[in-house]
Amino acid sequence: MQKEDLKIAVIRIEGTNCEEETVMAFRNLGVFSEAVHLKQFYSDMIRDSEQRSLTDYNCIVFPGGFSAGDYVRAGAVFSARIKSVLRDDLRDFINSGYPVLGICNGFQILAELGALPGFDEDKPVGKQEMALGINDSNRFECRPSLLKHENRGKCVFTKALEKEIVMFPVAHAEGKVIFPAGKEEDYIDRLRKNDQIVFRYVDAGGNYAGYPWNPNGSIYNIAGLCNVRGNVLGLMPHPERVFFDYYRKNEIGDGRTIFESVIEYLLSL
Amino acid sequence: MFSKVNVPFELYEIKILDADDGRLLKISQELGLALSLDEMRRIQDYFHKKGRNPYDIEIQSIAQAWSEHCCYKSSKYYLKKYLFGISADYVISAIEEDAGVAEFDEEYAYVVALESHNHPSAIEPYGGAATGIGGILRDVLCMGAQPIALVDPLFFGNPDTSEDEIPAGTKHPLYLLSGVVSGIRDYGNRVGIPTVSGLLFFDESYLTNCIVNVGCVGIARKNRIIHSRAGNAGDIFILAGGLTGRDGIHGVTFASAELDEKSEELRSAVQLGNPIIKEPIIHACLEIVEKELLTGMKDLGGGGLSCVVGEMALSAGFGAEVHLEKVLLKEENMAPWEIWVSESQERMMVTVEPKHVDEVLYIFQKWDVPATIIGSVTAEKTLRVFHHGYKIYEMDIEFVTSGVEYCRQYASLKETVDETDSTAPPESYEEALLEILKHPNVASKEWVIRQYDHEVRASTFLRPLQGRLNLEGHGDASIIKPTISSKGLAITVAVNPWLIKKNPYWGTASAFDELVRNLTAVNSTPHSFADCLNFGNPEKEKRMGEFVDCVEALGWMARGMKIPCLSGNVSFYNETPYGSIAPTPTLLGIGIIEDIKNAITSDFKKRRNAIVLVGETRKEFGGSVYSRIFRMNGKVPRTSPEKLKNYSNTLLESFREFDVKSCHDLSEGGLAVALAEMCIASGMGARINLSEMKDETYTKLFSESNTRWLTEVSERELEDYISFFKSRNLTASSIGNTGGDVLEFTDGKFSFEIPLEEAEKAWRTGLTRFTGW
Amino acid sequence: MIADVYIYLKEGVADPEGEATKKALRLLGFKNVKKVSSRKVFRIEVDARNREEAEREISGMCEKLLANPVIQKYTIQWVE
Repeated sequence: MQKEDLKIAVIRIEGTNCEEETVMAFRNLGVFSEAVHLKQFYSDMIRDSEQRSLTDYNCIVFPGGFSAGDYVRAGAVFSARIKSVLRDDLRDFINSGYPVLGICNGFQILAELGALPGFDEDKPVGKQEMALGINDSNRFECRPSLLKHENRGKCVFTKALEKEIVMFPVAHAEGKVIFPAGKEEDYIDRLRKNDQIVFRYVDAGGNYAGYPWNPNGSIYNIAGLCNVRGNVLGLMPHPERVFFDYYRKNEIGDGRTIFESVIEYLLSL
Repeated sequence: MFSKVNVPFELYEIKILDADDGRLLKISQELGLALSLDEMRRIQDYFHKKGRNPYDIEIQSIAQAWSEHCCYKSSKYYLKKYLFGISADYVISAIEEDAGVAEFDEEYAYVVALESHNHPSAIEPYGGAATGIGGILRDVLCMGAQPIALVDPLFFGNPDTSEDEIPAGTKHPLYLLSGVVSGIRDYGNRVGIPTVSGLLFFDESYLTNCIVNVGCVGIARKNRIIHSRAGNAGDIFILAGGLTGRDGIHGVTFASAELDEKSEELRSAVQLGNPIIKEPIIHACLEIVEKELLTGMKDLGGGGLSCVVGEMALSAGFGAEVHLEKVLLKEENMAPWEIWVSESQERMMVTVEPKHVDEVLYIFQKWDVPATIIGSVTAEKTLRVFHHGYKIYEMDIEFVTSGVEYCRQYASLKETVDETDSTAPPESYEEALLEILKHPNVASKEWVIRQYDHEVRASTFLRPLQGRLNLEGHGDASIIKPTISSKGLAITVAVNPWLIKKNPYWGTASAFDELVRNLTAVNSTPHSFADCLNFGNPEKEKRMGEFVDCVEALGWMARGMKIPCLSGNVSFYNETPYGSIAPTPTLLGIGIIEDIKNAITSDFKKRRNAIVLVGETRKEFGGSVYSRIFRMNGKVPRTSPEKLKNYSNTLLESFREFDVKSCHDLSEGGLAVALAEMCIASGMGARINLSEMKDETYTKLFSESNTRWLTEVSERELEDYISFFKSRNLTASSIGNTGGDVLEFTDGKFSFEIPLEEAEKAWRTGLTRFTGW
Repeated sequence: MIADVYIYLKEGVADPEGEATKKALRLLGFKNVKKVSSRKVFRIEVDARNREEAEREISGMCEKLLANPVIQKYTIQWVE
């Protein structure tokens, strides 16, 4: 695939609010990207020129924010709407190996969809197997987080990541990774065996640590996970916010590689 | 007094033509109009000329338009006299509209607005604060601008107030704090605009009247700025956004009277916000602006439809015709006057040429934003309102909307302030410093700051917390990079009510000094400001005196510095039978930094660097933290625009000439606190020697003299750096070095030290010991 | 028909909202508070021929949107 053929959609509904910076991250790398309202995929109230299909795109992103206000549960309404209007399209998209990224609220959506951890490869959109619960601090918190990259090469969004530890900020109230009670160890074993763990929270010394370094109390310090195949990534921290350097000393921020990696992957298809 | 009109809905004729004074006042009271006798008489005269009685909707509409909140009747005279008209060639629109506009670069302009939301927040802190954010976002949006940052200065009663000191009908300051912060958090975070700056201040005078100010900054393409006026006769009014209900009826008349115990019952005057309607409105409006489909836009705030239609028509020199039955309602059976003055949230009014109406309606529909045509702009300067075909309102727009203006009597406090110095050294310097660091007005505000998303939109380049990851300290200003260029906007807020309470004139001058200090500390050039003037009851001469002193000082400083006031808001009646608030002229400052890479933060960068104090220290303790804790009297810090300009320009020049590693302004708690904050943010101590300075040790450490900063430079550059200031006849003193793990102070033979860890603990837990963490 | 749908956390799932509220109540002097757990209630009005049909409908809503089965359970209480 050629760079000029790539098309990336950042999917929005009311309340998603990180779509513009996510679109800009791709555009800054010279790739076509646009924010697309979920309605544009199905509503007949939308003019032809603005109607879209998932097959128009090579990669989709569920951005951060508070989709539908997160009023029932973070990400629940957005994912229920996707299940009702895009279930089969999204299943085909994922099963064809196209990459899907969920950042923050997007991770919550992927978890609600059952796309993560996605142990059942045939059913990437189905039953929930994990939840992102309320932070142990019981509060929304905006703070920097340090992430150790632990993926051994499966995740298409971190293949080009050379640094062992990166800094992406977090900003959420519901980001605590929870697996079904009693199955935690089994899940973690499977995730490790499948090379599905992508990022884990660490402290300034690179050690797995508790609050505030693990800002929400996630089990096993998990910050980001991919599916079995490696083409779906969900993470609570925001790589698009550090596309440029956090400290402004040079141009390149830690988050940039996430976007570069997936472009590289798409070009190799 | 009233008689029902024979129409198929609720409409009353108000019998004022033959009413005597007593009856006029009674009408004002019973209808909740908050109009004075003089004002009622003017209305009576007007309708005498028309030869008929007004309908309820007409008189309600006048009450809205003439409220303090809408027409600034008490403040306008003095604002014009002292503050307005400071011009700069980059000002695009100042004062006249919902938000001020100034040039950012060739292509873009930035937009600023600052407003109070005090009364609603005192009654229902969560909803009140949230709708404050909603309102200020609309003020910026209606200029055609994308909101890019929020600020929120907050003022409450003392957090350690015991339950039995709380007057009936008042809520505990911690309850209010937690409600207000949650409201701002849940609204600001959901709508996706970063909250990057603020203030949290405690004083007993806010116990019965908390102050909640909200500010917003936006960015717009210069050629897409939309004005808050109707386009041309024949244009169509489209009302978009949330539905109209009974919520928030009489919000502005409520904001224009003192709160009392009964205010609890006034909850209906507090509106409910919905960020998830607001967020698509922002997108829809900006899409319509981008496609150049609008001729005018204004948000619905105080006074609802009644104010927005009148103001848009009047400022364009036209009239309007509105059909109320077209307005989409939340609840049935609303009387027409209720529809007309309702302050339901999340509504915008736009005017559109007829040929663009379909396109505009389609865009709103696409974003799921309800929108409907409610009327049109007319050539004649009259406003007519119809309901189901019946004409229920016909008045001259100028009579209603131009409002009233008073030149109220005031008693200046300038000559009467007692500033006799009664200060003395502390018994223990160690304890004094720790006591100051843990004072909630000084201590870390991390508990608040982290609850707000200060990075959404990914354009925050200098954050409110600066320094070591997760162990940051306070910065002086935040910097937003609004466009793809490397130019940035520095944003800060300033006011120290303790200084102003003590001496309104010099306290306000000090607030302006602090505003400039904050902006220059991060290496930005001060560019403009907005003010939100919170005061007590203007009908009392002393309160009015505080107001006039403040405005005069503000005008003097701003004019001398040539920094224009872009936008403002006045909130009077922040007063209850228990007392008035400390005068609180909150300032929001904007600075420009040509390249954000040159921004300077407040944390020390390297051990064994030199620490330099820029500026002059005097014995100025009036209203200082030191004097408040140890109950002493003193002189409020002085300043002058000439001196401030000289120092701030030279400091900025020094940032270009030298490699300045960090900089922090000196404010509450003076040198000792500024230094401690720089140390805490970096995790390194400092060794300070004050012998070079004159005055007593406690003055050097704790005096709050204006126009001072601490900077960090390498030892190698130190000598040149100091002479750089001296050659311009300005004071800069080398006072020590960074490094170690203690704060060590020496002055001649006297010395003391505090382990950094202990100082840090005092500072970090000063607020959370009350709020929990 | 009107039902109150209670969504609550499964046994063993941490409940920071409940814990924080408990702490706050104790700080206010309510020393006898033993446990606080958070619940979310939705009042839902549906058109249905009978209670069974309504119950099926509401259960469907819970499974599709209102509860996440990994951490949450629900109960339905009929108001009318």
